[in-house]
Amino acid sequence: MEYEIPEDLKYTETHEWIKIDGDVGTIGITDYAQHQLGDIVFVEFPDIGVVFEKGSNVCEIESVKAVGDLILPLSGEIIEINERLEESPGLINSSPYNEGWIIKIKINHQNEIKTLLTSEQYKNILERESN
Amino acid sequence: MDFIPHDEDTIKEMLETIGVNSLEELFNDIPKDLMVEKLNLPEGLSEPDLQKYIEKLARKNKVYSYSFLGAGCYYHYIPSLVDFVASRSEFYTSYTPYQAEISQGFLQAMFEYQSIISRLTGMDVANASMYDGSTALAEASTMAALITRKKKILILEGVHPEYIEVVKTYCWAQKISIKIVKEEELLNNLDDSVAAVLIQSPNFFGEIEDLESISRDIKNKAPNCLIIHSMTDPTCLGITNPPGSYDVDIFVAEGQSFGNPPSFGGPGLGIFTVKEKFMRKIPGRLVGQTKEINGDKVGYILTLQAREQHIRREKASSNICTNQALCALMALTYLVSLGETGLREVAIQNFQKADYTKKKLAELPGYKILNKKPTYNEFLLECPNLDTFIEECKKFNLLPPLKISKYYPNLPNVALVCVTELNSRDSIELLIKAAKNANKLETGEKK
Amino acid sequence: MKFCEVPLIFEKKVEKQQKNFVPKLDIDVIKIEEIIPQKFIRKEIPIPDIPEVEVVRHFIQLSQMNFGVDNGFYPLGSCTMKYNPKINEKLARLPGFTNIHPLQDENLGCLELMANLIKYLKEITGMNAFTLQPAAGAHGELTGLLIMRKYFETQNLDKNKIIVPDSAHGTNPASARMAGFSTIELQSDENGEVPLDQLEFAMEEGDVAGIMLTNPNTLGLFERKVKEITKIVHENGGLCYYDGANLNPTLGICKPKDMGFDIVHLNLHKTFSTPHGGGGPGAGPIGVSENLAEYLPVPRIMTLNDEIKIITKGDNSIGRIKAFWGNFGVLIRAYAYILALGGEGLKKVAQISVLNANYLRTQLKNLFYLPYDRICKHEFVLSDKNLPNDVNTEDVAKRILDFGCHAPTIYFPLIVSGALMIEPTETESKEKLDNFIEILRKIKEEAENSPEILKTAPHNTPIGRLDAVLAARKPILKK
Repeated sequence: MEYEIPEDLKYTETHEWIKIDGDVGTIGITDYAQHQLGDIVFVEFPDIGVVFEKGSNVCEIESVKAVGDLILPLSGEIIEINERLEESPGLINSSPYNEGWIIKIKINHQNEIKTLLTSEQYKNILERESN
Repeated sequence: MDFIPHDEDTIKEMLETIGVNSLEELFNDIPKDLMVEKLNLPEGLSEPDLQKYIEKLARKNKVYSYSFLGAGCYYHYIPSLVDFVASRSEFYTSYTPYQAEISQGFLQAMFEYQSIISRLTGMDVANASMYDGSTALAEASTMAALITRKKKILILEGVHPEYIEVVKTYCWAQKISIKIVKEEELLNNLDDSVAAVLIQSPNFFGEIEDLESISRDIKNKAPNCLIIHSMTDPTCLGITNPPGSYDVDIFVAEGQSFGNPPSFGGPGLGIFTVKEKFMRKIPGRLVGQTKEINGDKVGYILTLQAREQHIRREKASSNICTNQALCALMALTYLVSLGETGLREVAIQNFQKADYTKKKLAELPGYKILNKKPTYNEFLLECPNLDTFIEECKKFNLLPPLKISKYYPNLPNVALVCVTELNSRDSIELLIKAAKNANKLETGEKK
Repeated sequence: MKFCEVPLIFEKKVEKQQKNFVPKLDIDVIKIEEIIPQKFIRKEIPIPDIPEVEVVRHFIQLSQMNFGVDNGFYPLGSCTMKYNPKINEKLARLPGFTNIHPLQDENLGCLELMANLIKYLKEITGMNAFTLQPAAGAHGELTGLLIMRKYFETQNLDKNKIIVPDSAHGTNPASARMAGFSTIELQSDENGEVPLDQLEFAMEEGDVAGIMLTNPNTLGLFERKVKEITKIVHENGGLCYYDGANLNPTLGICKPKDMGFDIVHLNLHKTFSTPHGGGGPGAGPIGVSENLAEYLPVPRIMTLNDEIKIITKGDNSIGRIKAFWGNFGVLIRAYAYILALGGEGLKKVAQISVLNANYLRTQLKNLFYLPYDRICKHEFVLSDKNLPNDVNTEDVAKRILDFGCHAPTIYFPLIVSGALMIEPTETESKEKLDNFIEILRKIKEEAENSPEILKTAPHNTPIGRLDAVLAARKPILKK
């Protein structure tokens, strides 16, 4: 199974992606993750303005048959949530890297960025998991 | 009795197919020192022998002609329809409807149950049942603590004492603290640390609380505090205002009064309803309406299952799996059999008969009605000689009212009397006679 | 089963007001407005008045679109869908039981029934004391875990974790959470059993209250090292909880007490033939070893010197877990079942449930992938691995419905990908089992030659596959 893994993004072992623009990070779940979950039916968002540590569960993503946690790739403050997902949670399935983005944060510690995975490294992890 | 369809030859044949020589061989993976020889139980009975034995046991219970006992379990008339429907084995021998395509019957019935409970209570969302009223109240409390992220529950005096005990047990495990308060203390105890206030109405003493003003006061002082309203005999909803009209966040009730017999207290029916905004947090099963994927038939399916234990596992807020589905089916049948007209009449008659009984008892010297607020079908009666009164009731084959000292030891002379539509005028007259006799006997007057 | 369009009961067009089910008022009429304030009185109830004949037809038509054990083969793994004896229905409806109030004095028949049931459950499981209060297996789990919590609390020990294998029922970790514990999950080994080394490692921390185990496990396999498992937990100061969902193959064969368990729950609606009722009611009694008896919930029924005693208070009791006595109507049926079968009959149940399961296993393993190929107990798990043309477990299950059977349990346990859990129970004939094998043989053929039929199944049921995604995205929960 070939999963989409855009090269210009950074990744985590727990299948989140993050797009970094200065001190704003846009976060979602990877193509692999959306495939594992199945049709997404609901997203429970965190409150805007709350600050979380890297590694916190900030969001619950529900599908018909499972629940996934969105684990924060970097520490930061929640500055925006993708309100379109309230009406159309399926965007996470159809467009996990674009229209299906989930939250945006103000990155607190730029030095944490080096702990993230490149698309190559994430691809290796997926290959290992499937074996 | 033997329900196994194989004879010895068939068993031999099957063992051969499997490739073993005996039934014992199929248990070779069990360590020898765990194997037991046999169970020390009496020999199995045939159906007629079983029936005889169990009937003998049933005769050791007393069935009274009329009941004046309520306190959380009630005698109402159950239409013959109810058992007729519940006895359809397509319903009662089926499992939870996970395979929706061959369970449309039960799924639609549960959708109708959710709908009818919502209509009756005025609440937005009803689930497909919890175990009973007491555990429904306990789970409502822990749910409120989870949602508000607060660890304190206030209980307004008047909640059924056994319900309070169950709430305490559930809350102790999750380090949620409980405080029981009188009405006049409620607002003083209300602050930002309180997750919810639990109010029973009609309460354990039969009284109907003014929920409109209580809920307004609570929301004014602590807008984030949840209001949980509970009820032990929801037949009053045939005439009283539904909880949904009072800004109640969670409404729970014991649904046994809807078509389920007393049956020594179980199985009961936990009615659980919430406001729309708590829909994704409600415990228990939910049935939703949907369409065929490749067709246009409307159908029913278990939905929002991501809330439940089989998906969420250790992240689930409730562990409930088996519920009281068949009892909910009986409640649905009861409610549609009676219809608006019947339900209204039942509720009104409960009020009328209890009111009549109250007035007659109040006329008797030595007896006093203690309630200050309006009551539904139960009320508190102070008696001159409660024990004798109870004995006199039994002589007339009346199930006596509750000695409230069972739960409130500081009230040895108070009875909780319950009168429903099933109490005939004659039975009430006998109760009055018993009350008179109890007084005369103690004061030595001739009968 | 044919489709019949049954409008919702609220959409029936015929209305008739009646008071058929209310006695005629035999006292002077007094208006409701004179009894309670006007502001308490509701104007209307949005519930229709429907003539009795229409109510009856409504439910009869619904029942004809529902499948129960009485309709056909129901091999739902982990649920033990055995035949529900009709005599039990008759006995549970005796007025001498249905008309009894839980708070009335003259209740000796009920108390005796419960005391005797406890006696029999003690003999069956080997445990020393019981409560019949819990209304379901999950309720029993919560009760048992609360007993664990109280036990450690009274000893001033801080134990806040529970161990469960990854094959556990979802209720296990959920119950642990409700009881205030967090869970540690053990990865089952290559034999599908609990790995002793992982267990030892987890217990070393010293903060584990205990383990919850199902035996046979949810793969239908007997945990052969169960005595070592309970020994390790005990040696490290923990307690052992037995999830009795799979008790059926152990009746008269082996006992949880001997395996080393301290707390046991039973599912009366599984092992003891009480009907599943479309999802309930059930009953989940808890048995404990002697040293834990003081923690049992109140009220507690005990027999001392042939006399029945009720304990209403206990310093170390966890308190009350439900109002009144328990699901008494369910207890009657379980009691009658035990009396009807007797010790020998119960042992036969265990033997034949295992015979039937292995009979299916040995023949189906040639058609579907069987991850754990050894003698199973009352159930076994197949997988959709290696099925051609992308046919999956759901497709197979839906196609089984077309042949007049209920599907097995699907996608559980989680440790088998595309799991298909089959539990025939002891009340199925060889003919029924052969028929099921034939059905699966046909389905395997279809997977190879005409997978489209499977992917769009079911075809012969009242309704086709339903849109679960729509139901969850835009929930309509009432009308």
